[in-house]
Amino acid sequence: MLPAEEAAATAALTVSEVGVHFGGVAALTDVSLRVLPGTVTGLIGPNGAGKTTLFNVISGLQSPDRGSVHLFDNDVTTMKPHRRARLGLARTFQRLELFGSLTAGENVQVGLESAVKWWEWRRLGRSFPRKRRAALPDDAGVGDRESGGPGSVAVATSDRLLEGVGLAGLGRQQASAMSTGLARMVELARALAIAPKLLLLDEPGSGLDEAESQALADLLVRLAAGGMAVLLVEHDMELVMGICDYIYVLDFGDIIAAGTPEEIRSDPMVQAAYLGVMPEGGTLVGHGVPGREAVRAGEAELQRIAAASGRDGPPGGAPGFEPGGGR
Amino acid sequence: MSNFLQYTVFGIMLGSGYAIAATGLVVTYTTSGVFNFAQGAVGMIAAFGYWELVTAHHVPVLVALVIILILGASIAGAFVERVLMRRLHGASAERPVMVTLGLMVILTGLAAIIWSPSTQRTVGYMINGQFRLVGINIEYQYVLIIGVAIAVAIGLRALFYGTRTGYALRAVVDDPELVAMSGASPNRMSQYGWILGFMMAALAGVLLASTQTTGLNIEAMTLLVVSGYAAAIVGRLKNIAVTFIAAVGIGLLENYVVNYLLPHLPQSFVPDVTVALPMVFLFIALVMLPSVRLRAVGRLTTMRAPRVPSGTESLVAGAVFFVVAVAAALAFDNTEFKGTTVLTLGGVVMTLGIVGLSLILVTGYSGQVSLCQFSFMGIGAFVMGKVAGGGSLLGLVAATAVCAAVGALIALPTIRLRDLYLALATFAFADAVANGFFTDTHIYGSGGVNIGRIVLPGLSFGGDAAEFLMVSVFFVLAAWMVLAIRRSLFGRRLVALNDSPAAYATVGLNIGFTKVAVFAIAAGMAGLAGALYGTVQQTVGTSDFDIFPGIIFVLFVTIWSIRTVSGAFLAALTYVVLNQLWPSGLGLFAGIGIILIGRAAGGILGIEAFQFHLPWVKQGAVEICEKSAASIGSAAIIGSGTRAAG
Repeated sequence: MLPAEEAAATAALTVSEVGVHFGGVAALTDVSLRVLPGTVTGLIGPNGAGKTTLFNVISGLQSPDRGSVHLFDNDVTTMKPHRRARLGLARTFQRLELFGSLTAGENVQVGLESAVKWWEWRRLGRSFPRKRRAALPDDAGVGDRESGGPGSVAVATSDRLLEGVGLAGLGRQQASAMSTGLARMVELARALAIAPKLLLLDEPGSGLDEAESQALADLLVRLAAGGMAVLLVEHDMELVMGICDYIYVLDFGDIIAAGTPEEIRSDPMVQAAYLGVMPEGGTLVGHGVPGREAVRAGEAELQRIAAASGRDGPPGGAPGFEPGGGR
Repeated sequence: MSNFLQYTVFGIMLGSGYAIAATGLVVTYTTSGVFNFAQGAVGMIAAFGYWELVTAHHVPVLVALVIILILGASIAGAFVERVLMRRLHGASAERPVMVTLGLMVILTGLAAIIWSPSTQRTVGYMINGQFRLVGINIEYQYVLIIGVAIAVAIGLRALFYGTRTGYALRAVVDDPELVAMSGASPNRMSQYGWILGFMMAALAGVLLASTQTTGLNIEAMTLLVVSGYAAAIVGRLKNIAVTFIAAVGIGLLENYVVNYLLPHLPQSFVPDVTVALPMVFLFIALVMLPSVRLRAVGRLTTMRAPRVPSGTESLVAGAVFFVVAVAAALAFDNTEFKGTTVLTLGGVVMTLGIVGLSLILVTGYSGQVSLCQFSFMGIGAFVMGKVAGGGSLLGLVAATAVCAAVGALIALPTIRLRDLYLALATFAFADAVANGFFTDTHIYGSGGVNIGRIVLPGLSFGGDAAEFLMVSVFFVLAAWMVLAIRRSLFGRRLVALNDSPAAYATVGLNIGFTKVAVFAIAAGMAGLAGALYGTVQQTVGTSDFDIFPGIIFVLFVTIWSIRTVSGAFLAALTYVVLNQLWPSGLGLFAGIGIILIGRAAGGILGIEAFQFHLPWVKQGAVEICEKSAASIGSAAIIGSGTRAAG
């Protein structure tokens, strides 16, 4: 087991006591969490719990009123979104943010080429850095297979990334004309194109059927097995419980529970948040002190997972967990 | 001391007038999300209407006010919301800006037809007389304006924060569906906002008309509210109290500068500084604004993207275009149309075509609205005329470089902000350059700037045909460059930035740099066009690059298609032809055209019925095939059972 200090140093993402207020409404209250490389971490909670706000804080679209965000060893609390992305942070959006006028392939190309600097003018329109290419995840469908001249590299690689997320042959479709499920996969491919070390996914399974969700789960597990840190917001509990190594539960802007899927499944606070049942002696909203205690208690478990991040495949499903569809 | 008090009272009065107009802008923006560029034009029409009723037809003041404010402005506001703005829901972000600009040029065009600019019209005070206080004379009219402004501010504050309708008015832009669920009609709330905005504009126009001691002027009255823009920006387009205070502050500052600073400057600078003041205030306001945070709005562009020609197709099309230009040069040599040679007009078409191409880059691809491309033309022509005695290739390079640098400087303060603020900055810049720089005889010369034709060793473009062919080559090269940019990494970035700034930033791309870069490139292109325009005309005058023709041309390009080279060329052609046939009707054509085009993002050329496809040209890039992923291959993980995109 790693010492706490060492674990902190190796975390891909460390969110410390982040608070966000919109006028008089507290969207996030002292939220702290960590995401380790090589793991899939779940962030669940009812609608309006603050999950997307937390994603916006992590990716730099929302400034926190207090607290800090670290990507690896870098304090990125006040850093602009594009600089965070250059440190290896990529994300998808709950409400689609595609480049709708471009084709699916061009969407991915924009991500692939994002590392080209303006002074590398000779690259404009031709290629993207070899370093970035080498850093792309093999399991996303991109390996050493690229061939052809410099002009074809970006296109060929974007095709392979699309193939990796199941969109083979759809690179020339205009993105805005795609169905929501396909568009979500284009967003995922675009996020993977920047060769992220930390991937934030905001409800990627929304609009997918059972088989598609399973394919998505397989992909995420493979990405994590390759060393990527994945933070997943998802309402599909079967998906979350099936692939996440560790789960945080957010309710009314506060972390009310944290632990392994088994611990979360049996946590009375979580059941209360989802089913509206008050735990004995517990408190439901606003305070969340029992939840924070649980988070601290879960640190040891988190470190254990970090030490054992290499695994063969997705854990089994989560039969019996029926969240009840929120409040 | 008494002078200071006198200036202070006048400054507060002036600022109060700005405050009424600025709060009207805020009301409209808060309730509809649209910045009404026609606010000044509405005030101008109200001022002329007031003159018509009270001075020309001796209608009692109160009756005139009821007619103008209660009947005219409110009905016009309701009409504009219902007929022009409501159908723009879901249109691209720049379209409401274009439509309000269209309304502005329609109103100024109509005013020029109804009230001949050659006639002087002055409006008297509503209340004559003055009283003495702390050693100075104060006009009752001043007190009236200040009192009305305070009453308006208090009334609006009470309406927005003390009534149920006010809450609905404020909420309607954020979430119209939620407003509808609470029992209020979002459309009606938006309509109330436009009615109130029009009434504020008309009130400001009527009150400020009496301060125009040299008589009512259509352009001056229309642009009088630029100072109000700065106040509205300080109030971040939502805070009425801050807007009011900022407007009064600007009025005071403007009056102090005019009375204390200008007397110490050389007299030749006085008109320039006076005209530039609103722009200075606007820029200060823009710099003061805190950064606007990026928002993931979930908006998905649904327009069918125009097909981008390949490099080979561009070359072939360019060659064909040049052959047609050669044929035109042979056919129309020494032919005149309305007193000007056809080839000179053709040269103007080509240079304006290059300006249109610059608009494709900055507005069509990246979604930023620039209203000062004609100003860059003017600066480019000026530089061309001053470098190496005019008519030199060095002048072309210098004109391009200087305009690119000026463009970057204008874009810099606004890169942290929403695109609307760039449109405002360019509007203010165009106003200041047109009325300060170009009209200053010490800078631009009383007879304009002589430029002459380009002469190279062994090659002269002195003849109209040679000149026409030369600028045609420049147009073809510029068009080829724009298409090459669109096909390149930079082009993909421009379109991506337009479609989703939030996603753009989160893939690691710098929004600010891209905005400044594209604006500088477009400014450089417009500067080059201006230099070439100078070589075509040989002399450029002080009124060649006015703000209104520049705005009208932007509308022409938008009407045809602001995303295609054909759109830029056809806009230039129709603009020049109509300008020869009926110059004063250009604004009406542009305004009515943009209103008719409405939310059609592709303009006339984007309408399916007007499109034709060459049989051998592949349609790949725009094909919207509805193949299900399941039919593509076994690797597909997403099937056809997914929800349709909204």
